[in-house]
Amino acid sequence: MGRFTGGLRPSKVRLKDHPILDFSAGQEVAFTFDGKKLKGIDGEPIAAALHANGVRVLRHSPVSGRARGFFCAIGNCSSCLMTVDGVPNVRVCTEPLREGMVVETQKGHGQLPID
Amino acid sequence: MTDRPERIDDDVIVCRCEDVTLGDIRRLIANGYHTIDEIKRISRAGMGQCQGRTCRHLIARELATALGVSVEEVEMPTFRPPTRPVLLSTIARGEGDE
Amino acid sequence: MNLLKEVDIAVIGAGPAGLAAALACAEAGASTLLIDANDVPGGQLVKQTHKFFGSERQHAGTRGIQIPELFAKKLVEHPNVETMWDTTASGYYDSGELVVEDGKRFIKILPKRLIVSTGASERFVLFENNDLPGVYGAGAVQTLMNVYGVVPGDRVLMVGSGNIGLIVSYQLIQAGVDVAAVIEAAPCIGGYLVHAAKLRRAGVPILTSHTIVAAHGEECVTGATIAKVDEKWQAIPGTECEIECDVICLAVGLMPLVDILWQAGCEMKYVPELGGHVPVRDDNMRTSNPNVYVAGDSGGVEEASSAMITGEIAGISAAESLGLKAPEADARLAQLKADLAAIRSGPAGEKICAGVCRATVCGGVWE
Repeated sequence: MGRFTGGLRPSKVRLKDHPILDFSAGQEVAFTFDGKKLKGIDGEPIAAALHANGVRVLRHSPVSGRARGFFCAIGNCSSCLMTVDGVPNVRVCTEPLREGMVVETQKGHGQLPID
Repeated sequence: MTDRPERIDDDVIVCRCEDVTLGDIRRLIANGYHTIDEIKRISRAGMGQCQGRTCRHLIARELATALGVSVEEVEMPTFRPPTRPVLLSTIARGEGDE
Repeated sequence: MNLLKEVDIAVIGAGPAGLAAALACAEAGASTLLIDANDVPGGQLVKQTHKFFGSERQHAGTRGIQIPELFAKKLVEHPNVETMWDTTASGYYDSGELVVEDGKRFIKILPKRLIVSTGASERFVLFENNDLPGVYGAGAVQTLMNVYGVVPGDRVLMVGSGNIGLIVSYQLIQAGVDVAAVIEAAPCIGGYLVHAAKLRRAGVPILTSHTIVAAHGEECVTGATIAKVDEKWQAIPGTECEIECDVICLAVGLMPLVDILWQAGCEMKYVPELGGHVPVRDDNMRTSNPNVYVAGDSGGVEEASSAMITGEIAGISAAESLGLKAPEADARLAQLKADLAAIRSGPAGEKICAGVCRATVCGGVWE
């Protein structure tokens, strides 16, 4: 579950020199994914931060356990549900990343936190 | 149109939310489930987190092909609020209360 | 506590159509509430780095990403406009009440008129392993790359040669990503040849009459099988070809997002030229529900320039139905309709015109 996959070359994952856009302004933040410490940019969608870290498998589907990543990236298709800070079924393609977030691969339909 | 299903395998996923395959849909149609609503109720296809936004047109096309009608003639399901999943806490809190 | 917020006009969706609609409503003197599920205005304009074609009135020559700010400035300063960000339109009821939620609470709104500019969603297609991570919608690739600066992978197979497929392919090359090929099921390229020519010059093959048969990979995409299609769009056995890629980008079209319009009881019609089910409307974008107007892609998938026009038409018309009118609104409306006709007379316009004709009520005016 949730292992690092995809053959991305780390040097090329984040754009630095782009002919039109400038991506230099973001503030780096730390978060965890299934217990691993990762870094991302404050406010970017959690899915973008994971992708930049080479994580493409965001969950396994609840019925047949197939690997799923994001698909639409604008909050429509719900392919990207994960557990964030204990809350299940968060659409990580639109949920902004914040310092210290705990992001976890969701098991099945997810479990509600019990206070 | 790359979504013509005639020669596509049964194990291809149609509904990503509920893991319903093309084979499932074909079997249901063969068993007499001839509207999107009927297929939705028996299989949960289109009843998941995305509320059918990803699979509805694929099921409509499969129905149209199987029944020999145009997609236009396939009856659409009923659309009800909420358009997107809502947190239970929002429902519990109700209207506007802090 | 029951909050029932009364406004003249509520606009759902702050993309190009909704921004133009809200501004038109406000300028006509209507109290206007603009609602969007995101925390910034612009909808999908925020990822469109290319310059727009068309008329200067629709910001030709301006990059898509620069347009929301032009509107946002005017809207923020306008005393008639209120905005709600991070807020989803959840339901529209027979009573005319619109219920929205912001992740914490429901808010009831009673608008005299509703403008639905909810845009469109990515079309999904059937092929083996179509749900594998690495199969991304073209909009997703654009968002990841152009908004957040994260490249989707090393080597991309682009499925679909409409303008979105061609433009995103070029943007991938700009970002230093290889595009293995662009495939197109139709026998000819769907988008503008000026975009296709850029790709050809960059050495990207555009394979027409080809479809995707399968994605390969255990947990992520590692390749794809494509094949030629016959005149009935079916893959021809024996013509399969393997493509090495770690991303399969689906640019096979968009479907109007029309849930709220169905809920509003609008007469709907399946119009494939416009991307799916759309509301029947008059020439002023009013639906069969006299209180509900449609604008932009939710009324039929076109492009951002036409969305800004249909948005402004809907805004002017909705305000006018309440007896509110900006000076010279009639002249502006005539100008907008002329601009719209001009955009639709372009190379891709024939199909759109046929679709709009089918989606428009007989004679262009409701009884």
